[in-house]
Amino acid sequence: MSERGVNMSSMTADSGIDRPPSARPARPAMDLRALLLDHAPFLVACLMLVVIVAVYGSLQSGVFSLDELNLDTTATLTLLLAATGQTIVLMRGGIDLSIGGMVSFGTVLAATRFGGDPGSVILWSAIILAIGFAVGAVNGLLISTLKLQPFLITLATWSILSGASLIVLPTDGGQVPAWWQDFGSAAWLGLASPVWLLILLLVLWYWFRSTRLGIAIKATGSNERSAFLSGVSLTRINLVTYGLSGLFAAAAALYLTTQTGAGSPTIGKDYILPSVAAAVIGGVSLFGGRGSLAGTAVGAFILTIIGNLVFVLHISSYWQPVAQGVILLIAVLASSLAEKAARGQDQ
Amino acid sequence: MDLLEVNGLVKRYGGIVALGGVDFSARAGEVHALLGENGAGKSTLIQILAGAVRHDGGRIRLDGADYAPVNPDEARARGIAAVFQELSLVPDLTVEQNIWFRREPLSRLGTVRGKALRARTLALLDRYGFPHLAPEQEVRRLTLAERQIVEIAKGLASDPKILILDEATSTLPAREAEWVLNLTRQLAGEGRLVVFISHRMGEVRHIADRLTIFRNGETVAAHEANAVSDDVIVSQMLGRKLARLYPERRATATGRLALEVEHLTVGKRVHDVSFALREGEVLGVGGLQGHGQRELFQGLFGAARVKGRLAIWGKPVAINSPRQALTGRDGLALVPEDRRGQGLLLSKSVRENLTVAVIRRFARRGLLSQRKEAALVKEMVDFLRIKAATAEQPAGTLSGGNQQKVVFGKMLLTQARILMLYDPTRGVDVGTKGEIFQLMRDLAAQGYAILFYSSDLPELVHVADRVLVMRNGAIATTLEGDANTEEGILRAAVFEKQAA
Repeated sequence: MSERGVNMSSMTADSGIDRPPSARPARPAMDLRALLLDHAPFLVACLMLVVIVAVYGSLQSGVFSLDELNLDTTATLTLLLAATGQTIVLMRGGIDLSIGGMVSFGTVLAATRFGGDPGSVILWSAIILAIGFAVGAVNGLLISTLKLQPFLITLATWSILSGASLIVLPTDGGQVPAWWQDFGSAAWLGLASPVWLLILLLVLWYWFRSTRLGIAIKATGSNERSAFLSGVSLTRINLVTYGLSGLFAAAAALYLTTQTGAGSPTIGKDYILPSVAAAVIGGVSLFGGRGSLAGTAVGAFILTIIGNLVFVLHISSYWQPVAQGVILLIAVLASSLAEKAARGQDQ
Repeated sequence: MDLLEVNGLVKRYGGIVALGGVDFSARAGEVHALLGENGAGKSTLIQILAGAVRHDGGRIRLDGADYAPVNPDEARARGIAAVFQELSLVPDLTVEQNIWFRREPLSRLGTVRGKALRARTLALLDRYGFPHLAPEQEVRRLTLAERQIVEIAKGLASDPKILILDEATSTLPAREAEWVLNLTRQLAGEGRLVVFISHRMGEVRHIADRLTIFRNGETVAAHEANAVSDDVIVSQMLGRKLARLYPERRATATGRLALEVEHLTVGKRVHDVSFALREGEVLGVGGLQGHGQRELFQGLFGAARVKGRLAIWGKPVAINSPRQALTGRDGLALVPEDRRGQGLLLSKSVRENLTVAVIRRFARRGLLSQRKEAALVKEMVDFLRIKAATAEQPAGTLSGGNQQKVVFGKMLLTQARILMLYDPTRGVDVGTKGEIFQLMRDLAAQGYAILFYSSDLPELVHVADRVLVMRNGAIATTLEGDANTEEGILRAAVFEKQAA
């Protein structure tokens, strides 16, 4: 090739251009090890849940029953609803602290605005859900237009919503109708309504994640620049993800009032970090692009049942956050080890 | 009438004119190469055509109709797909999800129909004879070369009238690069226009019907490919006669050993490799891609698990300690393979990139001496002739060649005298390549020891003093003097029995 004057020709261009490309031997598309490593965080979470339930069951009779399932689901559902929104936002590579404010705001609105008749309850439920979506959508728009970290924007809206909650209802109180409070004890085929809600949530998730929107959210969390170059509107994605997060926070608030029967302007803060923890324990990546609602549900159940376990062990309830922290560490460690192992395998 | 006609296209970034009235026209059914140094305007032109960037003046006509896309979606809808150097794939989606991203076949429930997606993917891969890809594999598990191929599939998925390939072969091994070249001819045969950018003149010569040459944001000339000589092309690209690409090579190696490697094993990819690098020497590492060269560099730099013995400037060093920690005159410095990912912080300024590794040298009791830093940065910018408006310009906005110079500057500022260069000229224009080779020889003459991997055979032959040819993770042979030829390297790389 040196007779071409300047020696810029590359080896690749000249090493037999006229040969047809021959087929490369197919390598196994995905072996079991890769599959396990890919789902390691979720599998570790499932394992932890099994161990915790087993220990709980050995200390307490009647754990392996539908009643226990109904009870635990009823206790977990507020956190799970809040964590559902958080999961969507985390998948997109963001974080939503404002759900704390929205949960508080939702409960105080319900406790002060619900009348005795179903019409008023339905109307105000719809309004609360709409406010949830709207507040979230504003979060999303602000993040897009101001190009600021979601952490800061949602910290601000959390504070605003917390203040608004205190203005509406300065102390815990208010009331929701008695029939509204009976929601959790309604049952069908032996399963309480929160269990049916959980099933519905999971079904909706498996539908959502394979829609174009679901894929686009995951893609944006995985690599924002690539998604943009492929034509995804980041403003629209932010609007929808944070909007959904607000919507689920409002749903969590409504469900919470069926449990407490009243509103609380400060209760929401108890769901901010646990909603992130539930998702992370269940294998949702804080960096976006990876995770599932099934994982988040497992994470939420772990956090709840740990509380039960501390109770039956007759130790101080102060041990509950300690145990939750340890579990979070195990989960994070598992996913980081799996990621390293997967990378080592590729090289 | 030509399929694509560009007249007087203008694009400015702030005060910098990227395109100052570019003319370009191309016909359906041809492979049209764009040639020019980095920064000549090729990338800006194709970004405008692809809808990633909007132009400030001039006119584009596509199929006789005005064309001014506001986003990549519109460009695709009008039949133009671009395969950029900057890969647009999503790591956590699978190959098939990426190829059909936002064009997935949907069921009535709005969900993606998995079987239809698979069938479409296989049909597409089959139609163009793609090298083996597993449609269900997540892209983050793929190599850079495999990602490039998926990117091409994604470009073809919209069935474009015009496909733009920007340096599509620069990351590919020989066989896959060859497939891309054949693909361009197939596409042209189907009546599509392929706009092809490559710094590899050999490739351009093989496939291009016509070529347009750019320099400093302007069109210099357009030629029928078979009616113009390489000398004319190169002189038009450079605007001056190219003195010579490769510098004079004088033997500057001394007897002093800079790096002694004995029985080095890195994971499963490098087995029992021993060699010595001397002061003042440029030691080439060659062989077919994927035969352990990358792992050798990673192992030496301490970024991988290794076994064996290692001595630096005569002193044995613990084989498993991270060599990144070895700074200063006794250290190693690396120009990594992926300069955009590992070598540079793209959003940070040229100054910050240059000094990030040595920031402590400017600190007195925790405070930075900005004067000292600025002086050193200026010295390095001048020395390497980095073309940047100011030292505060973000590194990501520089041309490829200038980005690579910044990586070199960063490496030189560490004062390490053992340099490890992994494919330092990949995607770099010919003018800058020449400067880099000259720099390497100059540094060797000053007593630096350089280990140099290249995927380009002539570079190894003309720049390195000796060449280690790797095959299956071991050193197949070492070529020196008259034995150091392209044929010799290729033979040793390919054949089990050494022909050298």
